[in-house]
Amino acid sequence: MASSSAASLAALPSQLTTSPARRSLLLSSTSRARPRPHHPLLHASSPKGGSYCRLVVTCNAGTVVPTSIAQGTPVRPTSILVVGATGTLGRQVVRRALDEGYDVRCLVRPRPAPADFLRDWGATVVNADLSKPETIPATLVGIHTVIDCATGRPEEPIRTVDWEGKVALIQCAKAMGIQKYVFYSIHNCDKHPEVPLMEIKHCTEKFIQDAGLDYIIIRLCGFMQGLIGQYAVPILEEKSVWGTDAPTRIAYMDTQDVARLTFIAMRNEKASKKLLTFAGPRAWTTQEVITLCERLAGQDANVTTVPVAVLRFTRQLTRFFQWTNDVADRLAFSEVLSSDTIFSVPMNDTYQFLGVDSKDILTLEKYLQDYFTNILKKLKDLKAQSKQTDIFF
Amino acid sequence: MAAAIVAARAPPGGGAATVIASFNNRALSCAASAAGRRYHHHGGACCFAAKPTQVAAEVDQDVAPADANAAATEAKPKRKARSRRGRKGKKSSESEASTTAAVEEEEKEKEEGVEEEGGKRKEGLDLEEVMAVSPVGLGRRSRQIFDEVWRKFSRLGQMSSASSTAMAEEEQAVLIRGGPMCEFTVPGAQDTTVLVVGATSRIGRIVVRKLMLRGYNVKALVRRNDAEVIDMLPRSVDIVVGDVGDDSTVKSAVSGCSKIIYCATARSTITGDLNRVDNQGVRNVSKAFQVFLLPQLTILPASNSLIESSFTELCITLQDYYNELAQLRAGKSSKSKLLIAKFKSPKSVKGWEVGQGSYLPNTFAYRFDEGIDASFEFNEDGQAVFSGFVFTRGGYVEISKRLSLPLGSTLDRYDGLLFSVGGNGRSYVVILETGPLADTSQSKKYFARMTTKVGFCRVRVPFSAFRPVNPQDPPLDPFLVHTLTIRFEPKRQRPGDGSQGATDPRNFELIMEYIKALPTGQETDFILISCSGSGIEPNRREQVLKAKKAGEDALRRSGLGYTIVRPGPLQEEPGGQRALIFDQGNRISQGISCADVADICVKALHDSTARNKSFDVCYEYVAEQGNELYELVAHLPDKANNYLTPALSVLEKNT
Repeated sequence: MASSSAASLAALPSQLTTSPARRSLLLSSTSRARPRPHHPLLHASSPKGGSYCRLVVTCNAGTVVPTSIAQGTPVRPTSILVVGATGTLGRQVVRRALDEGYDVRCLVRPRPAPADFLRDWGATVVNADLSKPETIPATLVGIHTVIDCATGRPEEPIRTVDWEGKVALIQCAKAMGIQKYVFYSIHNCDKHPEVPLMEIKHCTEKFIQDAGLDYIIIRLCGFMQGLIGQYAVPILEEKSVWGTDAPTRIAYMDTQDVARLTFIAMRNEKASKKLLTFAGPRAWTTQEVITLCERLAGQDANVTTVPVAVLRFTRQLTRFFQWTNDVADRLAFSEVLSSDTIFSVPMNDTYQFLGVDSKDILTLEKYLQDYFTNILKKLKDLKAQSKQTDIFF
Repeated sequence: MAAAIVAARAPPGGGAATVIASFNNRALSCAASAAGRRYHHHGGACCFAAKPTQVAAEVDQDVAPADANAAATEAKPKRKARSRRGRKGKKSSESEASTTAAVEEEEKEKEEGVEEEGGKRKEGLDLEEVMAVSPVGLGRRSRQIFDEVWRKFSRLGQMSSASSTAMAEEEQAVLIRGGPMCEFTVPGAQDTTVLVVGATSRIGRIVVRKLMLRGYNVKALVRRNDAEVIDMLPRSVDIVVGDVGDDSTVKSAVSGCSKIIYCATARSTITGDLNRVDNQGVRNVSKAFQVFLLPQLTILPASNSLIESSFTELCITLQDYYNELAQLRAGKSSKSKLLIAKFKSPKSVKGWEVGQGSYLPNTFAYRFDEGIDASFEFNEDGQAVFSGFVFTRGGYVEISKRLSLPLGSTLDRYDGLLFSVGGNGRSYVVILETGPLADTSQSKKYFARMTTKVGFCRVRVPFSAFRPVNPQDPPLDPFLVHTLTIRFEPKRQRPGDGSQGATDPRNFELIMEYIKALPTGQETDFILISCSGSGIEPNRREQVLKAKKAGEDALRRSGLGYTIVRPGPLQEEPGGQRALIFDQGNRISQGISCADVADICVKALHDSTARNKSFDVCYEYVAEQGNELYELVAHLPDKANNYLTPALSVLEKNT
């Protein structure tokens, strides 16, 4: 993706202007429990609003809201926009939505090889870039609900998409009368302001809550899908697996379950303006996951354990220099890792609230077992095939 | 990959040590390059590293050429390498390349594996030469190793929920279309082509999407081919422009399909429109589908002999084709035809009773009594012949036999009767009698017409074709059948045809060869969305229902495996929210979402309980108690449960 980091501010349309102050403010916003500042957030529509991150945001388009709702044809409740539809979670949300009969529009960044799989499934794809706010409004026309699963890629500056882009999107959604905004956040993001991504997610949560939208915020712990690339594939390929000795436990969850629960929550009137946390059935440490993978793959992993201290040290080191700040941000979770936090919540109330049977939620054991069964079968097929092609070698 | 390379080059223990050591040197310089990328858009780092990757992959394979397993596991890294290389020169960051690569990875893994290996080898050889002469190559490779190590290292510092987009590529092949981990995958979907008639309708659109998600090949029959329509459908749908009222386009639409979902409906309630789409349309499509399926029969050697006798008897051959399929699918024993009667010896005509009667009240009969004569006997040529004449007005003759089925088999596992007969081409009435054997006063009779041809032919009479003699009786339940009757009556015979034209239609000759019961097919071939009748404006209701009914009947008689879904008034809302009621009889009061109807269609494709069933479906009525009228088989559609099978298995077939 064209990760042009700068130029987003200059390109803002006249209705949507944000103060340039926020960039530096964010960096210094690590101390917690600050009093709410008095800057009006969206002064057209929510005069009481203030932001955790001391943002000064003007949104003149707010006055348009009543008229546009009164005059236009009502949007169909089945029309949704998925932001970040090519991501791990986003694509599952798209699939689920299509399967449940929604008309899905996907906001994707323009790129040389377009995301054809979304179109193949029957979604509509619109090109827009959150870091270029002028591209956003057109994509929201005729949309009832926005589901926001976007996150910046790790290699791009964290603030471009996750903060500046989101702010523009939320303002746009407010101005254009979007009737529901679903936002995915990170569990415990309010407890770890030292991690930039979590801090940003927390600020975005606040921003949404203050924006006057009908929202659902869903906090997530970790995706099972991420484990495949991190542990399962390296073990199968007999490469070294990098793990930490951190005692942190994460309750991984299947993204398909996340998508399913999201839509159940979306249709539940009681869930509106709520903050929900989705966690998997059990919290796992890195070491436990690796052991499980080893058992299922039937081979030992070549584990390279990196002490958390090394990670922290690297982070501290990189933070000294302005030009390595990005690297420091990327290593920021080491702060979380070093504490023995458990990234999990008891889900019984949530299940009950949503009317879901806990037996329907996939466990990590089952997930990995399915993966290994399938992949080993596939490898066997490939093996037979590569024998044939050996002739050409 | 770096780790693997190191491991290949050095002894395992040393390898690990190298990696750790190199990381410490690398931390700062890599940090520099990461930061640099941010400001200068410099894609150099990734394309610089791209070539050595390729070489590295190649080297890897050289080290273990014999081990096919190793080669297989390397499919992944190599693919990555190629896409990275393909993107060089474009100002994009490294992992962007890998995401786009992820998209490329969507293709089937097998094909790719073959293709890639071919192409890669050529490239690899060139590069190897380059590297041999240039020391720069070594530098590149070491850089590549560093990059890899750094990537792994920095991944540790992240949480997978936050950064997993970068890893999306890895899971792509597994989770996306057709992949094993995709909850939507239906086994064998890739080999199934489904024609969706009316793909732009409210239900049709969702049906198409659902089919695509599950990996089916989808053909769509649409009337207009403009941008609006194209946009509405997924891009890999095969679009056929045509109209169900037009035979030629229908033919091209059904070719190559193995299933049909018919969701087209008339746009207006004008009688002409209704007739064209809801009645004639269904007729055309089902007919065209049969004609298309017919040539496939010749592929099966076993069914060859069946075709020769009567080419035009599509239904028979089709049914036989499905029987063959059914036998192939599920072993011989339970799925093969059941012999009811075989007429090969003089003994075989025993048990058949010849009878006669009249439809007219006796008082009038004598005046027109010109005589009835009939016999059923085994002649010198070794044929069992039922022959005679009926000159009496309103008279008929019949042969009947009490069925004695082999132990353990009942007719409810069968789909219909197959008569292999010869003669002079009369039409007969087949009558099945059900009810308790002891008390004949309680028995119910069901009839169906059987039209034969001059010469030998096979006639299939599906149980669905039988109608109760007394309209108040319930539909035929094959399980209860105890007596089979073949009746000849001079009424309704076709006027003389061809050479036999001169003969009196009151004469008849029927040479019996055998009677068999046809096993049930496995799956439905044709799903028709009809309507339940509620929610239509009252003054046009009659016409709409009439047209729909005619279409349904055409489909039932076609011999295709059918499923007719009659949803309540459609609502445009997401599906899977409310419990559904499946019912037979006009007791539907609630609406249903289009998405739920689409879901039923897609589920019914491979559900044997859905074959040859017609049913109404709507939301569960939640308002108050006292809805005992319904068979409450309501299920909330969900990922884990297949609600359709239990709901449909209690419903009756062939209604």
